[in-house]
Amino acid sequence: MPTDLHNLQNLPNVHNLDAEIVARYTDQPPRLPAELRRCIEASWQGAPVQLYALADLDHALRLTQVWVALGPGCLAVARPLERGDEWAIESVERPRIEAVREAPGLSASTLTLLGRPGDPPLAVLRYSHRQRRAFENLKFVLEEALEGRPVAPPDADEEYAASVARSIRDAQALVAGRRVAVIRRLLGYLAPYRRQLTLGMAAATLITVVSLVPPYLAGYLIDRVVRPAQEGRLDVGRAGTIAWLAVAAMALVYLVRQAAAVARLRLMSVLGEWVARDLRAELYEHLQRLSLAFFSRKRTGGLITRVSADTDRLWEFVAFGVVDVSLSLVMLAGLGAVLISLDWRLGLVMILPVPLFCWAIYRHGEVLNRVFLRVWRKWSRLTDVLSDTMPGIRVVKAFNQEAREVARFVGHNNDVTDEINRLHALWTTFWPLLMLAVHATTIGVWVLAVPRLLGGGAALSAGTFVSFLLYTTMFVGPIEVIGQMARTMQRATTSAHRVFEVLDTEPEVTDAPQPVRLEPVRGRVTFEHVSFAYDGVRQVLRGVSFEVAPGELIGLVGPSGGGKTTIVNLIARFYDVTGGAIRIDGVDVRRLETGHYRRQIGMVLQDPYLFHGTALENIRYGLPAASLEQTVAAARAANAHDFICKLQHGYDTVVGERGHTLSGGERQRVSIARAILHDPRILILDEATSSVDTETERQIQEALERLIAGRTVFAIAHRLSTLRRASRLLVIADGRLVESGTHEELVAKPEGKYRRLYEMQVELA
Amino acid sequence: METATVRRRDAEEGRASAGELTLERRADGKLWALRGDAERVVWVRRCFPWSEPGRFVSLRDEDDNELALVGDPAELDRASRRVLEEAMAAAGFVFEVTRVMAIEEEVEIRHWRVETRQGTRSFQTRLDAWPRLLPQGGLLVRDVAGDLYHVSDPGALDQHSRALLWAFVD
Repeated sequence: MPTDLHNLQNLPNVHNLDAEIVARYTDQPPRLPAELRRCIEASWQGAPVQLYALADLDHALRLTQVWVALGPGCLAVARPLERGDEWAIESVERPRIEAVREAPGLSASTLTLLGRPGDPPLAVLRYSHRQRRAFENLKFVLEEALEGRPVAPPDADEEYAASVARSIRDAQALVAGRRVAVIRRLLGYLAPYRRQLTLGMAAATLITVVSLVPPYLAGYLIDRVVRPAQEGRLDVGRAGTIAWLAVAAMALVYLVRQAAAVARLRLMSVLGEWVARDLRAELYEHLQRLSLAFFSRKRTGGLITRVSADTDRLWEFVAFGVVDVSLSLVMLAGLGAVLISLDWRLGLVMILPVPLFCWAIYRHGEVLNRVFLRVWRKWSRLTDVLSDTMPGIRVVKAFNQEAREVARFVGHNNDVTDEINRLHALWTTFWPLLMLAVHATTIGVWVLAVPRLLGGGAALSAGTFVSFLLYTTMFVGPIEVIGQMARTMQRATTSAHRVFEVLDTEPEVTDAPQPVRLEPVRGRVTFEHVSFAYDGVRQVLRGVSFEVAPGELIGLVGPSGGGKTTIVNLIARFYDVTGGAIRIDGVDVRRLETGHYRRQIGMVLQDPYLFHGTALENIRYGLPAASLEQTVAAARAANAHDFICKLQHGYDTVVGERGHTLSGGERQRVSIARAILHDPRILILDEATSSVDTETERQIQEALERLIAGRTVFAIAHRLSTLRRASRLLVIADGRLVESGTHEELVAKPEGKYRRLYEMQVELA
Repeated sequence: METATVRRRDAEEGRASAGELTLERRADGKLWALRGDAERVVWVRRCFPWSEPGRFVSLRDEDDNELALVGDPAELDRASRRVLEEAMAAAGFVFEVTRVMAIEEEVEIRHWRVETRQGTRSFQTRLDAWPRLLPQGGLLVRDVAGDLYHVSDPGALDQHSRALLWAFVD
């Protein structure tokens, strides 16, 4: 089990990080053992291993390590032998493999390699879901080869490690650096505010130092003033003067202490806010630069938490944690030194139990954590009931299940209360007990001190003893802070990891060193043997080539999952191609300045997103400087002007999140107005009319016709009738361009894919 | 797609009736379902893997369409039943946890190290992914890769395992 879980430093690239994750978090090797690889390649007369996977279950479904390696001509299955590190390697020539079947199960899948029909299978491999991605890669490459479409060999080690590590990487924020390094990096954000930090630390140090003065003064007064005066060894008048001076000094000390407290609290909390503000700004700016691939891997809620809750937690750490922890250590050391110097015997009695108290607080925190876990689990069950039944209240009522739902809620509510009460029982017992232990120590001090005060043993003055007693009361605070230090550090490093993970992620789509700016963009789009894979070797586009002239309206049609949306995502350069090239007016899209290029692209999506803001702001989103005349003209062209005028606040009506609810068709028309105003050279319509009724569709269609005039347009639509006006239709299926031509040309093809799709829709209509 | 509950073999005649389903594992390694003159390669899926694991088994063809629903394997002839049970064991495979060695939390994930009937295994779950309490009282943990770990009776585990699991059971 990993103990130091973040020492992933000195890792030059993602592949090594993946291999590190596999080695650290799973029980399997991070790559094919080198010796085995050599043996396999030797048995293939030197042909290289191109791809491999680990089957981690045997036929009896026990854990094992069976390696499956794929080469250009053969596939090898290496099973471990009972003795030592030896393997039994069986190779199958790839031409003998006629089919590959995968049977998925609850937690294990079976891959069967089949030869000629009726023959026994060439290999049967079982594996857990952890290995499934690697086996899907193998299956893909084998099946593509069977179809006569060889896949370029990837880096086998990289693919294997990435496929196994992927689910862990997606779930966790991993950054390179030990915990100490993360804290150091976090403290680096204090650098611009050195002055405030120095002042804050100085104020905090002053508080600590002056806190030690009053007990000393109390002892001094008793031993040097009160008792000598009572015993007649000091003139009463002089004693009074000294006593009042001491009282005044004490008052001054308290004044200074509280003034320093004000300075410290204000400086550090403001400083913490500045650091949190800087982190939030850097984080948000970086998020905006990141590619879509990052957002598809991470949950939106998690990212929002990083910008809000995590930076807030870091404020707490910077503002109070850093100072509290360091000064508590100073305070304990200072108190220890003072007590020992006052009286080493009594000092030891007081100091020796301190580590024990710190440990007890730490252990108490651990126990509380486990109970918190139960509370959290039960709490989430309670909120599940709420998030289930509130949106589904019509169903609850329709089936007359109110009483059952109430009973379910009450049951979970009682569970939560019981757990929280368990938590209360723990801390309300612990802290009085701890204080009792502290008091017991004080009693121990009394027990040792009383005989000495009465003249037995080593001499002890009353003043020293009073000072001592006052100092002992100051132990509790620092002990508490030190005891909770582990938890404070843990919380801060967790948040810091989550923040730094985002900051350390590099955008996958970046500008070339000297990017090209197309002025003006004409809108010629060329796909040259474009291949693309979101993940691993499974390509969603395979060698797609076509050329679109400026001003053409291209309809992209074909079955779902065929690659249509991927094509438009690549045109918008949300991702970079993995093979081939996309050219805009003859220039490779990767050489273009991304920001400038994207300004030439407009998108109208199936479910348009409106931001929280007025209708006006939403329409002007891409061109905030547009005049009101231009805005109204765009809204008119989009058939949106009329319904916007009917809204209570017209164009100033707040729409989007938490705003006025617009229907799907209305939102669509606002988004078309936005696109019209943006005036893109290349326009992408992704199922723009699929989720509206016929009348709304007519209005949207009309708006779209005004929008597409004079632009290069790529339109994806399931309703083929909406694409009749397209200059050309590209039929995309299984990642390939299978047909192209006008509607009439394609319908005329007797065995055509488009014709089949079209006939099916006509029959259904 | 045709969905049918198979009927019990006609005991008196001792041979399959026309609509009766039989299953066999052939040399090609595939599971074949035979009914009358028709035969099809199938794979199995349990309809109620946790509440009724032994009954209601869906036989599905290679396009994932249901060919037949076996309400109770006891309704099949002995040979078919044995073949079906073997297929069910593979399809319904999950790791059976016998001991929990460690559960530790890290940034956003929880690490588990367990002893299973199949061997020792380390896996990870998200911090907010709670083990599922099964209708029969067991516990089911799903890791980030989708693998399932079944603790059939948490109360019967050793004391250390029980202490580690304490936060996750009612």
